[in-house]
Amino acid sequence: MLATIVRKEFTEMLRDGRVRLAAVALLALLAGALLHGRAQTRALVAERAAAQAATRADWLAQPAKNPHSAAHYGIYAFKPRATLATLDDGVDPYVGVLTWLEAHKRNEFAYRPAQDATGAQRAGALTAAVTLQLLVPLLIVLLAAGAFATEREHGTLRQLLALGVRARTLGAGKAFGVAAALGVVLVPATVLGVAAIVGLGGDTAHDLPRAGMMVVGYLLYFAAWLGVVLAISARARTARVALAGALGLWMLTTVLAPRLVTELARALRPTPSAAAFTAAIRSDLEQGFDGHAGQAEAMEAFRRRVLAQYRVDSVSQLPVSFAGLELEEGERIGNLVYDRHHARLWDRFAAQERVRTASAVVAPVLAMRALSMGLSGTDVAHHRAFAEAAEGYRRTLVTAMNADMTRNARGTDFDYKADRSLWGTVGAFDYDGPSLGATLTEHAGALAILGAWAVGGVLLLTGAVARLRP
Amino acid sequence: MLEAAALSKSFGDHVALHPLTLRVAPGEILCLLGANGAGKTTTINLFLDFIPRSGGRALVDGLDVAAEPLETKRRLAYIPEQVQLYRTLTGVENLDYFQRLSGRPPLDRAALLALCDRVGLPAGAADRRVSTYSKGMRQKVGIAIAIAKEARALLLDEPTSGLDPQASNEFSALLAVLRDDGVAILMATHDLFRARETGTHIAIMKHGRMVDRFAAADIGHADLERLYLDHMRN
Repeated sequence: MLATIVRKEFTEMLRDGRVRLAAVALLALLAGALLHGRAQTRALVAERAAAQAATRADWLAQPAKNPHSAAHYGIYAFKPRATLATLDDGVDPYVGVLTWLEAHKRNEFAYRPAQDATGAQRAGALTAAVTLQLLVPLLIVLLAAGAFATEREHGTLRQLLALGVRARTLGAGKAFGVAAALGVVLVPATVLGVAAIVGLGGDTAHDLPRAGMMVVGYLLYFAAWLGVVLAISARARTARVALAGALGLWMLTTVLAPRLVTELARALRPTPSAAAFTAAIRSDLEQGFDGHAGQAEAMEAFRRRVLAQYRVDSVSQLPVSFAGLELEEGERIGNLVYDRHHARLWDRFAAQERVRTASAVVAPVLAMRALSMGLSGTDVAHHRAFAEAAEGYRRTLVTAMNADMTRNARGTDFDYKADRSLWGTVGAFDYDGPSLGATLTEHAGALAILGAWAVGGVLLLTGAVARLRP
Repeated sequence: MLEAAALSKSFGDHVALHPLTLRVAPGEILCLLGANGAGKTTTINLFLDFIPRSGGRALVDGLDVAAEPLETKRRLAYIPEQVQLYRTLTGVENLDYFQRLSGRPPLDRAALLALCDRVGLPAGAADRRVSTYSKGMRQKVGIAIAIAKEARALLLDEPTSGLDPQASNEFSALLAVLRDDGVAILMATHDLFRARETGTHIAIMKHGRMVDRFAAADIGHADLERLYLDHMRN
């Protein structure tokens, strides 16, 4: 009997011209988004790999020079484009893709594509993720809002119930019927999605489990929508009321709520402006912080400490280059300040993220969005990991330069020239993003909320069907 | 087969059905006559357990409809004023769907087509989508669903209103066949002529009460009309 209901629902939907049109339109949009994402990934992967190789070649090609000059010459770190960013570019357009690594300074990320985008591009960048998160629920609304309500309005529900059909069987049949119709869109969509990321040079062992988890997340998300919309349909008097109710819910939770929640997160957990952030770092560097002395005072104390340690009266008597030691100490003090401010800033971003994820209790799209960005490698946590890795590399590089100077520039200090072979002693910058486990831990809350929504949707539907009236 | 014992229904202060007692035995057609709001549809809805009763009992084949809502529905068939079908499906697909959902063994295509033919669906109509059907054709599919279900009791809510005389006549002839097969039929109707022609018993209802009840054979058409109008005037 269940199979009969599923087949009939499926047949009816396929014969409905509006459903066919909506399904074709959705698939076309998705195909467009994937094609665009693929082209972008292909270009960016090549571009950034080439840029990373070029900046490394520039570094290695430096002539013999003072190591500190080399540290100032610096090197760029380019954030690699994740293969799965084809599906969801997440925060990538907003956070910048490269940073300049040099002595003394932890630089901000530069080149944010969103800065160059028009308002329209920024508002409606159509990625596969946006299509799946916004438009598939809309398709579910179109398919499922009338499931019970249309039959109630036409009177067929009365006749069905008069047959002695179990309401629960009917509910399950409707759910699977709509799911089957959705499958007509989602199965080709999955094939398209896989086709879009194959051959982009990604690491399959890395990408495949993430893509699999993404499928799980979307299935939970769609199941929640299906349950809720069918429950509305089971309670609504007419198809029009059901459609209005479900569309209203979609507008509120999927279009409006994410914008409101973004503002809410900013208001609750404000982040400093770029200018204020830079000024605070400069102030801490110059004047000290938390009992740490200001720069001038700290360096004077360091000089005395070194002289005492080597039991000498002046820096010229030291067996090493004091300039090298002094540079490294400057780095150490600077890093304390940078760590302090950046950790605080990242924690603020993480707190905003927690506000957004918690809001998924009322707007499931927020949980789906967080999970999708995390699995695509384009969330804030991935950006932070990259920024920390780049900063770590900066410190390795600068420390290596300072150490060489300390060892070899006694008496010559800044006039000392290191041999070209020094540049190669620092390995190339190599970055591996967070593991799948780390990402799942990061987004365990979002995954739990999605699961709760799916279970809640099924319970809502079961409850509504248990009291099904003709 | 169909039995109401002091069955009543109130909506708040309004009494839609005063305690009603009636029996329809196999092979009988009880026609409920009365103006709109007399309680005819309420009675049928109570037998279908679509609305909770306020008092008394409604039984189908000895089973209480409120206690066994699924089992009692499996033994009866219901034909509303407007039989509603799925517009994107053909007549035979609709029949097949309702047949399968009634819990009976599915019929093959030949049997379904034979059924369409038996209820007088025009040749070729069975494979057309029902969005092209007239009301008379849809009512015939309704009867076909009831026949396929092998229901032992039939609840009809003004099934012939709005049908042209020929369609109405054909419908009544089908009911007579079912009656002769031993089906118990309870039919709400406005059609005095059909009630006397096909009914075995007639009950007149007014303001939620059954005010009269007699065998159809005991009364002529003119007498029935006079009696009905007298009841309505008082």
